[in-house]
Amino acid sequence: MKRAIPVLVLSVAGLIPLWRYAPSHETGSSPAPAQVAAPASTPSVSSSGGTTTTVVSGSLVDTEKGPVRVEVTFDGDEIASVRMLRQPDHPQTTAAVPRLIEETLQAQSADIDTVSGATITSDGYRESLQAALDAKG
Amino acid sequence: MRRVEHVMGFPVSVRIDDEDFPEAPVDALFAWLREADARFSPFRPDSEVSRLDRGEVSEPSPGLREVLDLCEEYRIATGGAFDARLPGRGLDPCAVVKGWSVQKGAELLRAAGARRFCVNAGGDVIASGGPWRVGVRHPERADRLCAVLDVTDRALATSARYERGDHILDGRTGRPATGLLGMTVVAPTLTEADTVATAAFALGVEGVAWAAAREHCEVFAVDAGRRVLRSAGFPVAEAPAPGRASRKPTRRTGGPTHRVRGVADGVAPPAAL
Repeated sequence: MKRAIPVLVLSVAGLIPLWRYAPSHETGSSPAPAQVAAPASTPSVSSSGGTTTTVVSGSLVDTEKGPVRVEVTFDGDEIASVRMLRQPDHPQTTAAVPRLIEETLQAQSADIDTVSGATITSDGYRESLQAALDAKG
Repeated sequence: MRRVEHVMGFPVSVRIDDEDFPEAPVDALFAWLREADARFSPFRPDSEVSRLDRGEVSEPSPGLREVLDLCEEYRIATGGAFDARLPGRGLDPCAVVKGWSVQKGAELLRAAGARRFCVNAGGDVIASGGPWRVGVRHPERADRLCAVLDVTDRALATSARYERGDHILDGRTGRPATGLLGMTVVAPTLTEADTVATAAFALGVEGVAWAAAREHCEVFAVDAGRRVLRSAGFPVAEAPAPGRASRKPTRRTGGPTHRVRGVADGVAPPAAL
């Protein structure tokens, strides 16, 4: 299982694509792009204009896959966001960072065997696509 | 063979394409689902879950222990967005119980020799053998699909608000999760697909990358702005050539090809909304 060690790193790394399309989560102090120059190697704390937002840069950690540094934004005591400032350029970690494809929502019809959807009630079933498929036998 | 029964408040459709498959294992599947409902429903005052919640049970049964451990695993993994114990509410492990119990039920079929079958539990799908053509319901149009997949030996689950309203709460805020219109997850088991889909839906937009980063999970999400975000490995079916009336059935065991009622014949060109 490859989960043991990389999982913490990857769960953070998995958030990287997020900042590209979820600006609403950004606090005023951290509009930076996903990749920025590495800050000081020791943790540094900086406060934003507000009273509660704090950005903490972690120190550079050498893992067996390469150096890792994260930046955590605190809103009061709670973690508001985590950014990967530096991630190993290693095939294993690069592959594990999810690549998300953006598309337009389509409304199509097609030959299908079954339908996945939000949990449907027994009442709603009668009018559903799945009921039609079941009835066709 | 096909069978539809209603358990836990939703329809469960079973289709088994193996020839001469006996009825008994299918009976066993439905008996198990009814047992799971009786034991793990928070809506039944005499269920084990309700009794545990009232402090009348000191040690959960191994089955409930498994469910509670999964709840805890996902609570931690989502930073509390997914939580079976929300403040002011009773213990509610439904989000785990559904996928977990249907997965165990499907394993009864497999143990009895079923190889090519499909279980659809209120929109959550276990596809054994394959390939199966699985549509994902459009989040805003009940008679349309927003994706069509080719699925073999995988499970998929969808979380959304269109059937039961704002029933998924973000445990971090206690408020309904509204960042996504729909979240579909493909995983090796329905236990994982269902729980990851619900947990990602509770997380909202950040749940898309969270779920996609999980090993063996592929995601297809529609955000509140009607934008699709999907992982590269999401098993989208190959589009038939334009002008073709319909896909030729290519399945091993034949069987009828099903056309959705009320939908234009053939494969309509995808219409952007």
